[in-house]
Amino acid sequence: MNKNYLILTILALILGFGILFMPDIKHNNEIKPEKLLLMVDEPSRFLSSDVITDRLVKKDPALVLIDVRSAAEFKTFAIPGSINIPLDSLLETSSLEIMGTKDLDKVFYSNADVAADQAWIICKRMGFETIYVMQGGLNNWFNTIVKAEKPADTEPIETVELYQFRKGASQYFYGNGDSTAGQSQQNTQKKTTILMKKEAGASSGGGC
Amino acid sequence: MTGPLIPMNIIPEAWNNVIALLIGIGFGFTLEASGFSSSRKIMGTFFGYDFVVLRVFFTAALTAMTGIIYFDFMGWMDASMLYINPFYVSPAIIGGLVMGAGFALGGFCPGTSFCGIAIGKIDAMVFAGGLFVGIFFFSEAYSLFESLYNSGNMGDALIFDMLGMSKAVFAFLLIMAAIGMFYGATFIEKLVKKVEY
Repeated sequence: MNKNYLILTILALILGFGILFMPDIKHNNEIKPEKLLLMVDEPSRFLSSDVITDRLVKKDPALVLIDVRSAAEFKTFAIPGSINIPLDSLLETSSLEIMGTKDLDKVFYSNADVAADQAWIICKRMGFETIYVMQGGLNNWFNTIVKAEKPADTEPIETVELYQFRKGASQYFYGNGDSTAGQSQQNTQKKTTILMKKEAGASSGGGC
Repeated sequence: MTGPLIPMNIIPEAWNNVIALLIGIGFGFTLEASGFSSSRKIMGTFFGYDFVVLRVFFTAALTAMTGIIYFDFMGWMDASMLYINPFYVSPAIIGGLVMGAGFALGGFCPGTSFCGIAIGKIDAMVFAGGLFVGIFFFSEAYSLFESLYNSGNMGDALIFDMLGMSKAVFAFLLIMAAIGMFYGATFIEKLVKKVEY
């Protein structure tokens, strides 16, 4: 018998016994706490309501605005063009497909920042990229865009331009009427069609 | 390339074909260097005078299996991200029989026949010609085979799941079976009259 064969046989036996007694370890695919802390601290994870509004008006196809409040709240009032994924159904397959789409900027909002932040942290821990939180949530959006306050004539030109942009956006969404008219117009929200392509890296949610 | 390097974006997808070409050249070189470009090598498995093919394929399977299991254990790779070919039961059995018959008749497998062509073997050229004729007829008659071709898809089935045993036990048994087979093959080789080629 060739001596090399004997060595290989012994090696295979050792490796085989090693596998037999190998403890079953489940890999933790979540990102490290230190890294998450850095990301939480990073202000660029917030997008201001003005930036979002600008992209909504321009019908940016790379933007998905996600309302994480309940379906009932979404039906009562929501930002036109946004879609509803309640926080408790964030981990459903259809939601994960949207989160896993690389080329989309996923922006969460809730009434304030809290629920949106929770959704952001869950998605970040699952390893999803290009997810953001709309700063100040729906309240801030409503107060700055829909109820934009006319600045005094003595204000700098930037402030006046910002006001004009906000006023224009408000008219874009709700027409020329009173700002509260928005409440009755929630049914005119356009349906966003999203190409669902599951990212390979998002397999932590299961599936192939 | 179906390893997790590309799905994880460690290597950009554009490198896929370059890596495939390099691996292919290495594979072909090794086949030729080990004598696989001779049809007698594969025939040896059927007549019992040379079991190198069996040894090579089982060694490759064992190396890949232990490698994946240990790498996954060490956390160097994520085995759950590996692409698994879908398993079609009856098409796999029928296809396996046809392919095995082709091996036994021609003395080549598709890979070794191209190695044979590279060093100018006429029988390898005839074999590869038959390969293309077979592809042509299959494509033309695809509508006849279509229902069989797509039947019994079991997805990314894993054999230890189907047998209801743990991955570790199956891997251990496979290693034992392979070692047994290696020594059994050597035993048969000693019994059968040696063929010189």
